[in-house]
Amino acid sequence: MGIGELWNARPMALMLNGLVALSHYLFGSFGLTIIVLTIIIRACMYPLTAKQIRSSQAMQALQPKLAELQKKYARDRQKLTEEQMKLYKQSGVSPAGCAVPMIIQMPIWIALYQSIVRVLAVVPEGLLDLSRYLWSWSIVYSMLPLNNNFLWFNLMRPDIPLAVIVGATMWLSQKMVTPVTTDPQQRSQSQMMLWMMPLMFGFLAMSFPSGLALYWAVSNVISMVIQYFVLGNWGSLARSTARGPIATDKKYLKRITQVDKTSADIGAVEADIVETSPTKEEGLDYGVSGDKRQVGRGSYPSSLRAISRQSRRSKHHRPKRR
Amino acid sequence: MGIKHNRRLWGKVLLLLVVLLIVGVTVSGCYSRTPTLGWSGAVVADDTLFIASVEGKLFALNTSDGGPRWPDVSLGTSAVAVYGSPAVEGDLVYVGGYNGKVYTISSSLGAKKPWVYPIDENLEPIVSGVVAAYGKVYFGCSDGKVYALNAAELYKEWEFPTGDKIWSTPVVDGETIYIGSFDKKLYALNAMDGSKKWEFETGGAIAATPLVYNNTVYIGSFDRYLYAADANSGSLRWRSEVEAGKWYWAKPVAYNNVIYAPNLDHKVYILDANTGREVAGAVDLKSPISSSPVVVDGKVIIASQEGKIYSLDASNNQVSSLANLGDGEKIYAPLCAGDGVVYIHTQTSKQDTLYALNAQTGVTLWSLSLTGE
Repeated sequence: MGIGELWNARPMALMLNGLVALSHYLFGSFGLTIIVLTIIIRACMYPLTAKQIRSSQAMQALQPKLAELQKKYARDRQKLTEEQMKLYKQSGVSPAGCAVPMIIQMPIWIALYQSIVRVLAVVPEGLLDLSRYLWSWSIVYSMLPLNNNFLWFNLMRPDIPLAVIVGATMWLSQKMVTPVTTDPQQRSQSQMMLWMMPLMFGFLAMSFPSGLALYWAVSNVISMVIQYFVLGNWGSLARSTARGPIATDKKYLKRITQVDKTSADIGAVEADIVETSPTKEEGLDYGVSGDKRQVGRGSYPSSLRAISRQSRRSKHHRPKRR
Repeated sequence: MGIKHNRRLWGKVLLLLVVLLIVGVTVSGCYSRTPTLGWSGAVVADDTLFIASVEGKLFALNTSDGGPRWPDVSLGTSAVAVYGSPAVEGDLVYVGGYNGKVYTISSSLGAKKPWVYPIDENLEPIVSGVVAAYGKVYFGCSDGKVYALNAAELYKEWEFPTGDKIWSTPVVDGETIYIGSFDKKLYALNAMDGSKKWEFETGGAIAATPLVYNNTVYIGSFDRYLYAADANSGSLRWRSEVEAGKWYWAKPVAYNNVIYAPNLDHKVYILDANTGREVAGAVDLKSPISSSPVVVDGKVIIASQEGKIYSLDASNNQVSSLANLGDGEKIYAPLCAGDGVVYIHTQTSKQDTLYALNAQTGVTLWSLSLTGE
């Protein structure tokens, strides 16, 4: 059995039969089925997504530390890389972690696209071939082909308003978790991702059946909701009205604190960094919300422990603007 | 400074590569879509056989040796997939294209540019075959409508809307047209004005072409049952006792009061035309059957998708192998028969071939590749 056959017989068959059976209980509406499927998939991926968001936040909390390393090893690039990797490892943060949920969803997108083309009877060859992969459930056979209309669009054709919604929701979702960084390189990469992905997916949504675009749009909205609950606020979307500071996961905080303690013990980081006068970059708000006033008014805190202390304090006491 | 600049540049390039990889894999996975090649059946009028190739060309061939009556005609500027058999009315040949156009070629004028309907725009894809009768051309369309065009001048005489796509080929019997729709219903329409005589609902979508036999309409449905409805009233006569394993896709045939209904579950169900009960056990051909069989001299000739041809003796319901055309060649198109010869359109992903077989012996009389160099 080749890869193509294996793909069709397993993941594709699961997706196909699952979609059709689900649509039976959702009034035969394929649009509703895609929405519910998206919710189910994102619910299954919740632990991974939450971990990725927390990791991203922990990365943000590491920024001062990274800045220190950059300053310290400005002339030794190899050593800098080694120290950065060491820091990531010790603090349990994975810089590439943000791409994992997206990569995991890729087979789902492909299976969903191929399912849409087949169950909506877009191509005669596709529908004829589909019967090979149907499981022997009566509802599956009698439901097909599914109705292709949902709201204002045809699920098997591209829809421009929906493509705009995909791009907009993806931008909002990305903006929420875009780390505010002191590193110009990372800042530039974040900005590139913030615009490139929504534009690219908006363009893809204009080329693919809108059933797939519906999945992306709903998935983006779910991402925002998950991010809200994990972060405890709207992140970079509502910097001035945020409920609290960085909601870095306890596990990461603990590890970061340990890293900080170790660093302090070996004298890798000088305690008098607090006294260092702010640079241009330090003036940037590297907190998610509200932290700009706390951190920006002086300099880098002496340690990440200080960040977490400040964060905890600011949950209850919001300092007045000076 | 240079190192820092390079580092930023490489970071951006790496990020871009990751994004492109994600998008590239998604796009390539999604765009590996099934191609629309079509599976036109053949039709014989006098001594000429008409068939459309997967390249969207209409062939007119001499039935005796497969020689061309006139040079093949390209239906469109690019390849047009044709799923239904052509229809012949007088010296005009009609073909429905997946691009939503109906083409008409004059057989007396030969290889001339075809006339089309509609002229400027396109209908939704036409998967249904076209049928010519009473000076009209009938076909179903993926927009859910049944169309009747004036056969001579190609203008629309009437249309009838159904609730979903139509891929079934209409059948004209008397002044009535019978056609199935994806809305699960079988419709009986007045052939003259398109008014509805009756409708009959099954439990699933209908892609198969109905069979009219002994004042009864037989139709296979996606709910895996075969139905028999009274041709005059549309009332249910019976629903097959046995539930098939998969969809009914091909048109059944009838002989001696027995219905032979092929199914995508590899089997041919043999049912009593009056009661729907099994006359004999279903014949398993080990491959899906989407091609409509034909009856030649008391033998039901059936083609499986895998390219094997079988002969089912209607007197004892014994099946025997007639020919094996399958070496990667698939058969989706309905079979066509005339003068003891069966015409079979086979195809691979790259080319298609027309075979003329002796229906009794299975010997290949001639074959012709319909794909150009």
